[in-house]
Order: sequence, then structure tokens, then C-alpha cells
Amino acid sequence: MEEILKVTDLYLKKGNKEIIKNFNITVERGSISVVLGVNGAGKSSLAYVLMGLSGYKPDNGKIFFKGIDITDKTVTERAKLGMTLAWQTPASFEGLTVRDYIQIGMKNKSIALVKEALEKVALDPILYLNRTVDKSLSGGERKRIELAAVYAMHPELVILDEPDSGIDILSLEKIKKLIVDFKETGSTVLLITHRDEVAEIADTAFLMCSGEIIKQGSPAEISNFFKDECNHCDHKGAPEKIIQENVK
Amino acid sequence: MATKIIDEYAEMMKAYEQSGGNVGEFSNPNVPSIVISGNKVLGKNEVKGLIIEPTPTKDGVDVKITVKKGTKILYPMALCFGVLPKEGVQVINMEAYIEDEAGMNAVSHCVFPNAEHIVHKMNYKVHLGNHSFFRYKEIHFHGDKGGVEVVPYTEGEVGENSYFESTFTLKEGRVGKLDIKYDVDVKKGGKLELYSKVWAKGNDEVNIEEKGNLKGEEAKALIKSRVVLQDNSHSKVLSVVNAYAPYSRGHVDCMEVVQDDSVAEAVPVVGVSNSLAKVTHEAAIGSLDSKEIETLEARGLTEEEAIKAVVSGLLK
Repeated sequence: MEEILKVTDLYLKKGNKEIIKNFNITVERGSISVVLGVNGAGKSSLAYVLMGLSGYKPDNGKIFFKGIDITDKTVTERAKLGMTLAWQTPASFEGLTVRDYIQIGMKNKSIALVKEALEKVALDPILYLNRTVDKSLSGGERKRIELAAVYAMHPELVILDEPDSGIDILSLEKIKKLIVDFKETGSTVLLITHRDEVAEIADTAFLMCSGEIIKQGSPAEISNFFKDECNHCDHKGAPEKIIQENVK
Repeated sequence: MATKIIDEYAEMMKAYEQSGGNVGEFSNPNVPSIVISGNKVLGKNEVKGLIIEPTPTKDGVDVKITVKKGTKILYPMALCFGVLPKEGVQVINMEAYIEDEAGMNAVSHCVFPNAEHIVHKMNYKVHLGNHSFFRYKEIHFHGDKGGVEVVPYTEGEVGENSYFESTFTLKEGRVGKLDIKYDVDVKKGGKLELYSKVWAKGNDEVNIEEKGNLKGEEAKALIKSRVVLQDNSHSKVLSVVNAYAPYSRGHVDCMEVVQDDSVAEAVPVVGVSNSLAKVTHEAAIGSLDSKEIETLEARGLTEEEAIKAVVSGLLK
């Protein structure tokens, strides 16, 4: 299969702290890849580096999207190439309606697609289209609108940073279904999460610890390892120990 | 002479349209309206229960508007004020009387498309009777040279259980020098809402002074300002709510966005002289939120387009 994203020897340092190190992954077009890791593993930083946000320029390594070196490209250039990011805690926008917000990233501004996207995240278009994307929305509502916005973009690659956090348990199945819908409508998904039950919808899984990928495998294999080892990990900051123990 | 007047009217309508107005309003007999260019009244339309009395003066026009008791005007009144030459002075002294149980909405477009040195003074006196309402929107359209001095002063009183809302918007073209003042008393059960939305550029100067006086029991006031500054522009916003009566409630919400070498100052003043009253405030000055900008960039907008979208939202 074709590689859509390739990251080689990525390294990010903030102050004296190594946030991402020795990071290598390949994501295949049309797949759902999950990066699973506990809080503080560097998952959101990885999303920001991949999207090229300010303050997240890698100290070393290369990022290739569709074979193009995007390491030094701006956020806009990356988006125009076909990738986007759904933030874990999305920004609020005073005065911008849900309809306008979703349409910003759409190539055609079809209102039917805006409505479909809202329905995908279980929000009634009649109630939400003309609301503003400001602080009057709850965190969960804002998050769903973020997912609807990236869904309506039909990006080639979408990085979903913890799309399941702040979402009630009843809505979790809908979010999982939406992630599968991303794939079915032609998007490749890089899913970042700390919930192993979400990882099951992926094709490939990576386990991230202290800024490194320490294990790659099937979602079931990585989820089981995560449940057994990482949820009560006493190896924080020392993934090499985990690797050694795992090898034993 | 007649040709000149027709040309002037046409040019005013063109500027009115550029500022977002619908010129069809001026030919609709159901829509009350007035068009004033400099000190000339170019057009006027009254509807049942609404009296418009303009009197030209040396530098402008005195206008008295009365909405008769019990009359609710169906369509918003369209007002178009402006100065077409590069230089000039326009002083509009406006008195609006909204009598008891009466109500009206009005949208005023102030257009100075060729301004290089224009002074526009609007002295507004608003009298709302009891159980009445008045929503007034003032939208400015200036050229890009910045040579306009805009001085809108509003004094008023909001009667018992009445509602007065005033919105001032200037986001197209250069501000020049803007000096807004409001001073409004609110009686028992009355409600006051003041909104100012300004985008300052170049060396524009913005001074906003808004004052709501809650004099009656359960009177309410909201004063909200949004000023976006760029280049070398300056702004100072003084928002005052004084609560004198029991159960009166007020809130001040001021946000100024500073870019480039611009300078902003915000002074919220809240006063309470009755133990059963309550007034709150929030003020924020700072740069645009980088997360908002990067979110829109991640949707494919350039930085410039993203800033424009965020600023347009703030000033909406």
C-alpha cells in the first residue's frame, strides 16, 4: 500500500525536556492508525509537530506527506496539501457561526454536507447551524463541531487528537463510527488517544511512551499490552526498560 | 441644480450600498427613511405613527423623530448620513422620542467615501417612554485615507420597563479619529445594551466612553466593546456602570485586540450604591489567540485570511 505519512528520526525538545525522540512511523493511505499512550507521553506534541504549529518545529528529523518533505512547510501549506488536525481542546470563536466555521475548510460550501457532518456527530443542524462557536457551547459540543468540521473537509489525512476525551460514554460509539466513516469516505486517520477501547477500530497501532514509539502491532495486541502494562506503569520516563522487559 | 441633487443622491446610495445597506429600502413606501448629505435633506419617508422633522442648519441638520404612543413601526427605519466631498463638517442634532408603549428599530449608515478631512458630529438625545423599545444600529463606511473625525454623543433615558439597544460599528475603511460617548439613565425595570465594534488601522485614534446609570429598581445594563487595533493605532475604552437602585444589574465586557505597534487601554468602572444591586465586569487586552489563527490555517486559510475571519467574528 501507498505511504501517505512517513516520519523519520523525529526529535523535539522544549527547554531541557525531550518531548519527542527517535520517532519513526509510517502511515498507509486509507488506513486508521492509532497512537496509544498515557497522559504526558507526548501524543499532542506529536500532533502539533506533524501539523507544523508554532513552537513545535522539530529539532531533528523529517516529515513526509504524500512523498513531499513538509518539515519546513507552514500550517496552511500542509492543509492545502490535504492534511488537517482536530484539536483535543478546540479554540472558541466569537461571532463565527457553526455553519461558517464548518464551511471554512470545505472546497464546495454545500450546506447539505454541513448538515450531514453535524448529524454524523449527533448534533441537530436545526439547533446548531446558526449558533456561534464561542464559549456558550459546552466542551463536548465544541469538540463534536470540530470533528464535523474536519469531516466536511474530506482531508486526505486527518490527525485526531483525543477525539474521545470529554465525550460522554453514550456518544463514544458515535465518535468511533465517525472515525470509521472518515476512512470510508477516503480519508486516512491518525488517531491519538489514551483509551484502549477506542483503539480497536484501527488497522495499525503504535504505543507511545515518553516521546518514543516503543511498540507497534495490531490494535488488539497493543491495547492488551497498554491495559496490562501502561495503565499502572512504574516505568515513566524509561521506555527502554519496558522494551527490555518485553523482550525478555 | 436638480441634476446635481440627483447625482448627489445617487452617489450617497452607492456609498450606502458599499457600507452594506440595501438601497431598495429608500423606494419602499413602507420603510421609514431619511437621507442627509452634508446639510441637505435629499429624501424622507414617514409612515403612520412616525413623524420625521428635519431642519437644515449651517453645518448639518437638526432632526426630530417621534414615534407616537402605542405605535410599533413594522420595518426598521433607514437613515443615511454622509459627506461626499473630501473636506467638510456635518453636525446632526437628533432627538428621538419613543412615546409610551411605542417601538422602533433603526439602522443608520454614515458614509464618507472620499474623506480626507471630514468632521462628523452626531448629538443624539433619546427619550424612551414607558413600556417602549428602540434598537439603533449605526454603521460607518469610511474611505482608506483616515481623514475623518467622528464624534457621536448619545444622551438618553430609558423609561420604565423599556428597552434601548445601541450598536456602533466601524470596520470598513480607516477610522481616523473616533470619539464616542454614551450617557444613559435607566428607570425601573428598564434595560440598556450598548455595543461598540471598531477596527482601527494606520494611526487611527479611538476613544470610547460609555456610561449606564441604573436608577430604577431592577434596571439592567450591558456594555460590550470590541476594538481591534493594528499598525500604530491607539484606543482607550472607558466603560462605566453605576447601580443606584435595588436589584439593578449591570455588566461591562471589553475586549481590545492589539497587533503590530498599536496601543490599547481599557478602564472598566463599576459602582454600586445600593446593597441589593450588583455589577460585574471583564476586560481583556492582548494579541489574537494563536490557537484560533492556527485552527483556521489548518483548514487551509492563509494567516492573513485567518486573522480577517477572527476579527470579523469579533466585530460581528
